[in-house]
Amino acid sequence: MYGFEALTFNVHAGYLEAIVRGHRAGLLTAADYNNLCQCETLDDIKMHLSATEYGPYLQNEPSPLHTTTIVEKCTLKLVEDYKHMLCQATEPLSTFLEYITYGHMIDNVVLIVTGTLHERDVHELLEKCHPLGMFDSIATLAVAQNMRELYRLVLVDTPLAPYFSECITSEDLDDMNIEIMRNTLYKAYLEDFYRFCRKLGGATAEIMSDLLSFEADRRAVNITINSIGTELTRDDRKKLYSNFGLLYPYGHEELAICEDIDQVRGVMEKYPPYQSIFSKLSYGESQMLDKAFYEEEVKRLCLAFEQQFHYGVFFAYMRLREQEIRNLMWISECVAQNQKSRVHDSVVFIF
Amino acid sequence: MEEQDQMQSSIEVEEVEEQQREGKRLEEENVVRFLDSLDSYVTLLDSLSSTLRQGWLELASARQSMGASRINGALLDLKSHSAATSLQVTHHDDEILNQPHFTLCKWASSKNGYGDEKLRENKLQTNSDGPQLRHRSQFAEKIPETKGAPLIVDDQVQKERTKSLSMFGTLVSPKLRAAQLSFETALETLVEIANVRLTMLSTSDQVRKELEGTEG
Repeated sequence: MYGFEALTFNVHAGYLEAIVRGHRAGLLTAADYNNLCQCETLDDIKMHLSATEYGPYLQNEPSPLHTTTIVEKCTLKLVEDYKHMLCQATEPLSTFLEYITYGHMIDNVVLIVTGTLHERDVHELLEKCHPLGMFDSIATLAVAQNMRELYRLVLVDTPLAPYFSECITSEDLDDMNIEIMRNTLYKAYLEDFYRFCRKLGGATAEIMSDLLSFEADRRAVNITINSIGTELTRDDRKKLYSNFGLLYPYGHEELAICEDIDQVRGVMEKYPPYQSIFSKLSYGESQMLDKAFYEEEVKRLCLAFEQQFHYGVFFAYMRLREQEIRNLMWISECVAQNQKSRVHDSVVFIF
Repeated sequence: MEEQDQMQSSIEVEEVEEQQREGKRLEEENVVRFLDSLDSYVTLLDSLSSTLRQGWLELASARQSMGASRINGALLDLKSHSAATSLQVTHHDDEILNQPHFTLCKWASSKNGYGDEKLRENKLQTNSDGPQLRHRSQFAEKIPETKGAPLIVDDQVQKERTKSLSMFGTLVSPKLRAAQLSFETALETLVEIANVRLTMLSTSDQVRKELEGTEG
């Protein structure tokens, strides 16, 4: 089934696989979440997190705390882990690790361009960017007036350059064009990442193909639901779906013409892996869909650790850590807003 | 002659008693109106609190779904643009409503010449969408009749809603749209609270004057 990874993998990536498995052991457990969900204030959350791997990052933060501060400091932990792994990695693992951050890079580009369109200060926008998606010339994005300039002045020297071939027009940047640019870039990035993993072969190709296909399918569903009732045409909607995944191509044909959530459900229930997700929702409801998708993703990411000698563990760790940070953000918001009864609406347990 | 005098005095006594009864009735009417408006005020404050809580949680949920980079304060539009919603103050000159009245003009766009229709529609919506106000008696205020605009939300309003959300992107989560609706409802409730507060203060003044007059 696979190649002879067991013979050669540890030569270059054995140390880092051990490191990432150690990091995985530090993820919060159900007991930790139960303690956090019972906190009365953000300072209580900080106190509980002081006993976890986030402790050193939060200990010097003064009261009163803000939810964004907790998220920011926990993200620093993720960034440090990533940078340590990246600086120790050799090819092709280093390229694989860089691919993991391109999604954040796209988000940062769109944030800067959108904020500039709204006449916001570029320094204020840079503070809001995700640290994993930063690159040297990111501040120069603020001078671009259209996508051609965006590409020519800034992005031609970044890893996102190959993804711009479908976006380059001289049209001025407006909200709709920016949204289409975001989704087109992300589609190109996912397809490129998928091709790269297939080229690596072996267990990495097998496991990453499953994880990236799920990501592509989830994106297709979210694009469909979010575009219901908007001016996005069916053809434009279909162009934003990735050209791989379980739903490609027939599921995409059906999703492109959906006009409400029940029609989306009807399409997705034809695919057995997604039946369990939609069975958790009542008809006409989409509020819990995100949580259902996150739960399925976490299940697949945890399964990646059941095998050795592949790069999927690195991707899985990064995504699990991001899910953990999302959980902490939600718990902090519920505590800050005094709505602890709703805390379990969006928390996804990892273990 | 004496009989005529007696009849005259008894008529005058009856008239005085009738005036006193009328005065008492008016006092009671004012007290009931004051209590009604106070009850409405408290109910609306409670409704506003729960609507705002729901809105903030939906916003947090949208942030959870779409990501912190897509929903944050740094994306709010600082370009100058006309207000999508405005507040109009009108003055009533009749005996009962001798006070200003606030009306929310939602999603009115001067480009579309749309404001007046929306003003009437939103007045109806403001009056009908709010919590059901209890009235203890038949002395309740009469709501002024309008010229009959349709109560359904049309495509233009939906487009204006989508336009105001576009600062967060064109393809936004249904949770963000739900948050927008919650805050919209909260704004309507605020305007209702302002109107009810005016009524409450006005009737409170009348009751106080009557009490002072009685004591004097």
